[in-house]
Amino acid sequence: MSTQTKSSPWKSLVQLPENVWRSIFRNPLPSSDLGRAQTSFTNFFLHLHPVKVHRNSLKATFTLGLGLISFFLFFILVVTGILLMFYYVPSTAQAYDRMLDLRGTVAFGIFLRNMHRWAAHGMVAAVFLHMCRVFLTGSYKPPREFNWVLGVLLLLVTLFMSFTGYLLPWDQLAFWAITVGTSIASYAPLVGKDVKFILLGDSTVGQEALLRFYVLHVAVLPVVLTSLVAIHFWRIRKDGGLSRPEEEDALPADAPAKVEVVTAPAVVMATSPAAAAAAEPVLQKRHYGIQGLVRGPFTKVGNVPDRSVFAWPNLFMAELVVFLITVAGVLTVSLFFNAPLEEPVNVMHPPNPAKAPWYFLGLQEQVSYSAFWGGVGIPTIEVLLLLIVPYIDRKVAGVGRWFARERLLANFLFLSFVIVNVILIIIGTFFRGPNWEFVSPW
Amino acid sequence: MKSPVKPANEETGDAMTRRRALSWMSGFGLFGSLIITVLSNVIFIKPRATYGQPNRFSIGKPDEFPSGARVSLDTRRVCIVRDGDKIAAISTTCTHLGCIVSVSETGFACPCHGSRYDQDGTVTGGPAPRALPWYQVSLAPNGDIEVDKDTEIEQGTYLRV
Repeated sequence: MSTQTKSSPWKSLVQLPENVWRSIFRNPLPSSDLGRAQTSFTNFFLHLHPVKVHRNSLKATFTLGLGLISFFLFFILVVTGILLMFYYVPSTAQAYDRMLDLRGTVAFGIFLRNMHRWAAHGMVAAVFLHMCRVFLTGSYKPPREFNWVLGVLLLLVTLFMSFTGYLLPWDQLAFWAITVGTSIASYAPLVGKDVKFILLGDSTVGQEALLRFYVLHVAVLPVVLTSLVAIHFWRIRKDGGLSRPEEEDALPADAPAKVEVVTAPAVVMATSPAAAAAAEPVLQKRHYGIQGLVRGPFTKVGNVPDRSVFAWPNLFMAELVVFLITVAGVLTVSLFFNAPLEEPVNVMHPPNPAKAPWYFLGLQEQVSYSAFWGGVGIPTIEVLLLLIVPYIDRKVAGVGRWFARERLLANFLFLSFVIVNVILIIIGTFFRGPNWEFVSPW
Repeated sequence: MKSPVKPANEETGDAMTRRRALSWMSGFGLFGSLIITVLSNVIFIKPRATYGQPNRFSIGKPDEFPSGARVSLDTRRVCIVRDGDKIAAISTTCTHLGCIVSVSETGFACPCHGSRYDQDGTVTGGPAPRALPWYQVSLAPNGDIEVDKDTEIEQGTYLRV
């Protein structure tokens, strides 16, 4: 028997595990820069990342990891949400019983519901804080204006996701929060009544509304959110990575002379001398840049100091750490705190006071003064202002630094907006009692 | 950028015009289809029939409501008011944000945002923007009182029984 032959079946069998492994993972763990680069762009999950990333983007004190935390919370929500779908029925007769089943009979049911609820609350908070980080570091400035717009849309979709999820347990809180919320929508001029009717599928909250909110919550909005997240991530790279201070790209004083990038003239493929002569003036105007498609400082090869590091392992390790912290946080909270579940829906007796989830209590507080201005007018103005901020405030100074001096006014205005909303939420949460009258929490 | 090669003849120029016209028409068609798609989806999700309770319903004989009664039928979201031989149906859906108002000594009070109404449904406090609507009440041939929540009537219009 000759086992030496290269193509013998025996040898193929022996090498099978290794060959299968190699066919899936093209590269061994990298030990060279070439290997590190290849690892990034030959792996489906890693190729979303750039091969090299600027050191500033990895600074935990700069980003606080808030964007990643938002994304990982969304990931947890998708996983736990799909698992919960196996036991949930969007029917007014069954929904509440299914909640009780999750508590009583389903294995890990209560734990999954806790994870889903707390991750949802966490995502609203993380997305909002991420917006604050981007604003306070001036990172919405050109060329990142449109990614800021996408971010504002993502905040709105996140809030709508949470709002549609709120009805599904079909308890008192769910019913009255949605009754109040959809009534707020009906105050919108012209389309308000129709929006409410289309959302509820009826004139009051009932079976139709439950089914509609369920479809929005598990199918429509996740697809919208995922698409927006994909574009949001894509734009980070196309806009030249995360923002960073200008000093990061400045050459040190003792830098060697600038490297001139000389563009070679293109080879002319001319069939006749006359045609070549005719084409020449045009060709002379052409310039060939390196990586001409990517905007931002990264394209200035040779003109800026290279302060970037390889994504493998620096970026991936950072992401893994944020992921583990996020998962650990959600697991810990879910172990110690149960997601609230109130009495089953009783159409005749609204709880007094009927309060929305905490992140809508600022809105509810505004609404108690004027339904139109508090619920529609002011929120619309706020969203519009957020959307156009990067097109108004275009001076590129103080970008990439927290609380930059040059941005004192912008940061002051933004922080007042945040603080006013936080105060409204605190008043709505702690200082409002029966009939929405002022109470002292002490 | 100016093309180094001029159009060879009139025919080439015509071809470009035709191509441009066709692209405009295609673009117009595609955009139009998009608008029609969006519109038809909106029409689709707006229900033509609702499956909830009907807006026109019977509430029983007039004798069931003695004079001076203020009976709140919470599932129907109306309050039946009887004063002597006069009877009326006032909505109990708060005009602010749709909570159910409860009958109080002075009229109606909303538990959600503290709106208050008097006996006739006129706003006396809180954020409610307008009075509670009154609904058409009629006597059916079999002697039952019928309430029609699709027809709002002027405040203070009673049915005499």
